[in-house]
Amino acid sequence: MRHGGQAFLELGKPNNGGTKIFSVSGHVNKPGNYEVGLGTPFAELLAMAGGVRSGHKLKAVIPGGSSAPVLPGEVMMDLTMDFDSIAKAGSMLGSGAVIVMDDSVCMVKALERLAYFYFEESCGQCTPCREGTGWMYRVVHRIEHGEGRPEDLDLLMSVGDNIAGRTICALGDAAVGPVQSFIKHFRQEFEYHIEHKKCLVGA
Amino acid sequence: MLSRIKHFFDTFLLTELVRGMSMTGRYFFARKITVQYPEERAPQSPRFRGLHAQRRYPNGEERCIACKLCEAVCPALAIQIESEQRADGTRRTTRYDIDLTKCIFCGFCEEACPVDAIVETRVYEYHGEKRGDLYYTKEMLLAVGDKYEAQIAQDRAADARYR
Amino acid sequence: MPHIEIDGKTIEVAPGATLMDAANQAGIFIPHFCYHKKLSIAANCRMCLVEVEKAPKPLPACATPVTEGMKVRTHSAKAVAAQKGVMELLLINHPLDCPICDQGGECQLQDLAVGYGASASRYAEPKRVVREKDLGPLIATDMTRCIHCSRCVRFSQEIAGRMELGMVHRGEHTEVMPFLEQQMHSELSGNVIDLCPVGALTSKPFRYSARTWELSRRKSISPHDGLGANLQLHTKDNRVYRVVPQENEAINECWLADRDRYAYEALNSEERLTRPMVRDGDKWIEVDWQKALNQAAGALRVLRDTHGGNALAALASPHQTLEELHLLQKLMRGLGSGRIEHRLGQADFSGDAKRQGVTWLGMPIAELNQLQRVLLIGATLRKEQPLIAQRLRQAVKFGAQLNVLHAADDDLYCRVANKLIVKPSAWVNALAQVAKALQEAGASLPAELAGQLNDITVSDSARAIAASLNTGERKALLLGAVAQNHPAAAQLHQLVAAIAAACGAKLGFLSPAANSVGAQLVGVQSGPVALDAKGYLLLGVEPELDAHNGPELLKALQAAECVVALTAFKGRVMDYADVVLPIAPFSETAGSFVNMEGRLQSFHAAVTPQGEARPAWKVLRVLGNLFNLAGFEQNSAEEVRQEALPQGEAGIAARLDNAIHGVALALQPPGAGIERLGEVPIYQLDPLVRRAPALQQTQDARDAACAWASGALIQRLNLIDGEHVRVRQAGAEAVLRLCRDDRLPDDVLRVAAAHPLTAGLAGRFGAISVEAV
Repeated sequence: MRHGGQAFLELGKPNNGGTKIFSVSGHVNKPGNYEVGLGTPFAELLAMAGGVRSGHKLKAVIPGGSSAPVLPGEVMMDLTMDFDSIAKAGSMLGSGAVIVMDDSVCMVKALERLAYFYFEESCGQCTPCREGTGWMYRVVHRIEHGEGRPEDLDLLMSVGDNIAGRTICALGDAAVGPVQSFIKHFRQEFEYHIEHKKCLVGA
Repeated sequence: MLSRIKHFFDTFLLTELVRGMSMTGRYFFARKITVQYPEERAPQSPRFRGLHAQRRYPNGEERCIACKLCEAVCPALAIQIESEQRADGTRRTTRYDIDLTKCIFCGFCEEACPVDAIVETRVYEYHGEKRGDLYYTKEMLLAVGDKYEAQIAQDRAADARYR
Repeated sequence: MPHIEIDGKTIEVAPGATLMDAANQAGIFIPHFCYHKKLSIAANCRMCLVEVEKAPKPLPACATPVTEGMKVRTHSAKAVAAQKGVMELLLINHPLDCPICDQGGECQLQDLAVGYGASASRYAEPKRVVREKDLGPLIATDMTRCIHCSRCVRFSQEIAGRMELGMVHRGEHTEVMPFLEQQMHSELSGNVIDLCPVGALTSKPFRYSARTWELSRRKSISPHDGLGANLQLHTKDNRVYRVVPQENEAINECWLADRDRYAYEALNSEERLTRPMVRDGDKWIEVDWQKALNQAAGALRVLRDTHGGNALAALASPHQTLEELHLLQKLMRGLGSGRIEHRLGQADFSGDAKRQGVTWLGMPIAELNQLQRVLLIGATLRKEQPLIAQRLRQAVKFGAQLNVLHAADDDLYCRVANKLIVKPSAWVNALAQVAKALQEAGASLPAELAGQLNDITVSDSARAIAASLNTGERKALLLGAVAQNHPAAAQLHQLVAAIAAACGAKLGFLSPAANSVGAQLVGVQSGPVALDAKGYLLLGVEPELDAHNGPELLKALQAAECVVALTAFKGRVMDYADVVLPIAPFSETAGSFVNMEGRLQSFHAAVTPQGEARPAWKVLRVLGNLFNLAGFEQNSAEEVRQEALPQGEAGIAARLDNAIHGVALALQPPGAGIERLGEVPIYQLDPLVRRAPALQQTQDARDAACAWASGALIQRLNLIDGEHVRVRQAGAEAVLRLCRDDRLPDDVLRVAAAHPLTAGLAGRFGAISVEAV
C-alpha cells in the first residue's frame, strides 16, 4: 500500500506478480507461514521451512491445498512457486497451502484421508459429488485395508472423470484432483497395496 | 436291354423285399431307444421345466414378493396375481394362481423372478380329474414347493453357474 | 427473439427461456429429474447436462438461459458420456428395490436408466441406507430410494405454501425429512407422490396393491369441490385402485388436492349400498328393483293424491351429476311439487328472489392467478378450495394484495395484506364499514345502500381493506362457503356486490360443491328446506350432516310418512327411510358437472356399478315412467344432458350472473357472547369423502373433531386446553375435546358442522356456550 500496486507486482515474476503467504505444513522442521515473492524456487521455500525432517527424504508435495494435484518430490524441487510454473507441471498453486510429505508417508493412506475429507465436506446437492466422493473414498479405503482389486485403479480414474466438470461447484473437481494425481504419480504404491494387501512403506 | 434283365431278376429274386427286410432286420437287432415307462424314466436335465412351485426361504418365509414380473412376462397370461401389504408391513400376494391349461411351460416366469420364488420343478407326473384341478392356486403351488424343495434346491445349485 | 441451434435444428425461443424450454419447444427430450415445469429451477440432479459449443464443461439445460447463436448438442459424445456418468452415479447408492417398489413400471429412474444409462453396474461397495420417515396416513416413504432431486422440498415450499419437508445433513448423509418428526399436514401433500421420480414417496393407501401396467386409465371429474379437477381413475377388474391428476392447465394444472386423490377408497367401502331395500317394521329386506321401485312410487303416489303435489319434497346433493339433478326436478315438478332443494347447508334464502341468475366464480379459474387485489369473505379457503388457495398464493407471490374478512385468522400460507377478523354476526357491519370507507374515498354506492351507512364507524382494518381495493386493476371479491351459509348471506351478497361495483372488482362465489352451478342451472332450488312434507325423495344426501339445522331436518324426515332415499351408501339414512335405492357414485355412471367457472365437464363410467346399484339418472327415469309422466324416455346420459342444457355449454354463460338487487340491510350491533363458527371440514364435504379411511386419519380430520377457542377465551371460561368440554347451542349439546387456536377472536368458538360428533347441534352459527364436562 505504501509503495503502490505496480511496486507490488514487480516483486515476483512476469504475469505472477507480488508475494504470497505460503502455509508450509507436513514433514518439515519449521512448519509455518512464509511470505515470499512469487517465483521463489521451491527449494528455497523448503529451506526457509527448515527442510525435510532429519533422516527423511522428500517424497511428494501438494503445492496448493488438498485439491491441488500432488507432485513427486523430485519434480517439485525443480519448480518455482508461481502460478505458471506449477500449472505447467500439472498442478495448481491454489491457496498456497504447501503440504510436504516425506518417505514415511504411505500415499494410499494419505489419499484415503484426503478422499474422506471430500466425502464428508460434500454438500450433497448435486449427484456426481454427493455419490462419487463416497464411491472414491470407499474404494481407496478398501485398498488401504488390504481388500483392493486389480481393476480398482482404473475404476477410480474413470469415476473421477465422471465427476469432474459435471458438478455445480468446484468441490467435485477438487475431490477428483487428489485421487487422479496420486494414482498417476504413485501407481506402483497402489498396485503394491492391492497385490500384497499391505503398505509398501514400512510402518 | 440291361434294364429288362435287371427287372427279371428283381421280380423273381425279390430284391426290394430283401433290401427292405435288411433295413428292418438292422433295426430289429439294434439297441432300442424306447424308454419303458413307467419302469424306466427318460433322463432329465436340472433345467427341466415341469410343474410349477412356489418356493420358500430356509426360514420358512415365502419368497414371493408380489413384484408381478412373472405375470407381466407370461406369454400365455396364465398367472393371476393380487397383492397387498401384509400385517407386518411386507409386500405379499393375496392371490397367486397359475392356470396350467393356459401355461405353455416356457419357464419365462422362472427367469423373470428376481427372488427365485416361482420355479418349474422336474415333476411332470400330475393330473387333474375334474374341471379346475389344473388351476393351481397359491396354496397348491406352495404345497408343491414344500414337497419338492430338496430336489428344487439341488437342481438350482447344479445350474447356478449358468444363470 | 434469440435463435439457437439444437441438435441441428434452428429455432426461435422467447428471451429468458432456458435450454430445457427450447428443447421442449423443439420436441427434443432431455433427460432430467429435478426439473419440473411448475417448480423453481434447482439444477442439482445434473442429468440434463448437454454439450454447448464453446463451453468448456457440459451445461445443465434446465438452468442455462439461451443466448443468440448458441449451438447445443444433446446426443453428442460429450453429452452422452455425461448422461451415462450421472446415471451411473445416481444408481450406485440406489437400493435394488424394483421388485418391491410401487414405482416400478412408472419410475423415471428406471426409464432413464434404460434409455440413457449403462447396461451394467461397476459399483461393488456397500450402499448407504436411510431411515424411514412418517409423513402421515397418505404418503408412504422409503427414503433409501431418494435421489435428492429436491422436488418435494420445493413443492412444499412453493406450491403448498409451507415448507414441511427439507434436506438436512450434507454429502452422502443428506436426507429429506419433515421438520421435527412431524407429518405432512398440507392439504396438497399427495402431489409429492406424483412429483417424486423414484419410489421414495408413494401412496400409502395404494401400497403394494397393483402394478401400473395392469391398470386401465379412465378420465373423470372430481365430484367434491367446485373446482372440477380433472381426474384419471386407474382401474383393474372393475375396481378403482387409485386416482391421479389429469393435467388441465385451466383448472387444476397438474395438481390434485388430497381430497380428490384419496376419496376413491370410499368407492370400495363396505358401507356401499348394493341392493334395493325396503323397510319392514324395524328390519330391512333386500328386494329386487321392480319391487322397490313399485313400492316407492306407490307410496309417493298415495301421498300426492291425498295431500297434493306439495306434500312431496326432494333434497338433492350438489355433488350429483347434472343429468341426475335435471331428472329429479323434472320428476318432482311432474308430480306437482315445487319443493326441491340442494342447498341444505344454507341458512338464509331471502336472497333467492333478489338474484338474477346462477351464482358462479365470476371469472375463469385461471384468471385468479392474475388478480392484483382480492377480498376473501367468509372463506376457510385452504380447506374449502385447496387448489384455489394455491392459485391465490401464486398471485400473492407476484404482488397481489390479499385481504380477508373471516371469523378466524387462518394461515393461508402467504402474505395477507389486511384482515378483519370478527365473529360471524359482525360481518354485515364489517362489510358496511368497508363500503363506507370506499364511499368516503370517493366511490359511489347505490342510493339505497348509501343512505343506510350513516351510523357506521369505520375501523382501521376496514379502511385499510378499502384502500387496498381502491388501487390496482384486476380485482375480485370472493364469497366462501361460510359466507354463503351465513344467516345473513343475502345481506353479505348485497354488500359485496355494492363494494365490487364501487371499486371496479369482479364478484365471485367459491362454489362449494362440484355441481353447485349445475344444480342452479337445472332449477334444483326452491327455497328453505321443506320441514313439513309428508313424503321425501333424497338424492345422494345425508341430511343429518348436510343440513344447516340437522336435528330439525332429521325430525321432519322421521315424522314424514314416506322417505325414499337414492344413495350409494348405507348410513344413518337407514334409520328413517322407508325405501333405499342403491345408486352409482360418479365413477360408475356417466354424467356431467358444471364447475364454478361455468365449464361443463362430462365423463363416462370408469367401472360398472357394484351389485345392483344403478346410475341415478336411470332410476329417476324409471320412476318417471312409473308415474306415467311424459318426457322420461331418454336412453342415454347424453340425451338427458341435451335436454337439461338445450344450448349446450354456450347456453350456460348467458345464465351466470352474480348480481343481486333490493336486499334490505339490517345493520344490528353484533351479538354479545360467544358465537359458533361452523364450517364444513375439509374431509366431511360429501358422503364419499366421509368414508375414505385414509383421509379420516389425517390431522385435518382429527382437528375437525375438536372445539377450538383462543387462549384468552379458554382462560376466561376457566377451561383446560386438551380436556373435553360440553358445547351447547339452542338446546342441543355435544361433547368435544377443546383445542387452543390463538388465531380465533376471543368471542368465537370453532365447532365443525357436518360432523358426526356435532350433528346434534342445531344451526351452524349463532350463540353457543361451552363448559367443562
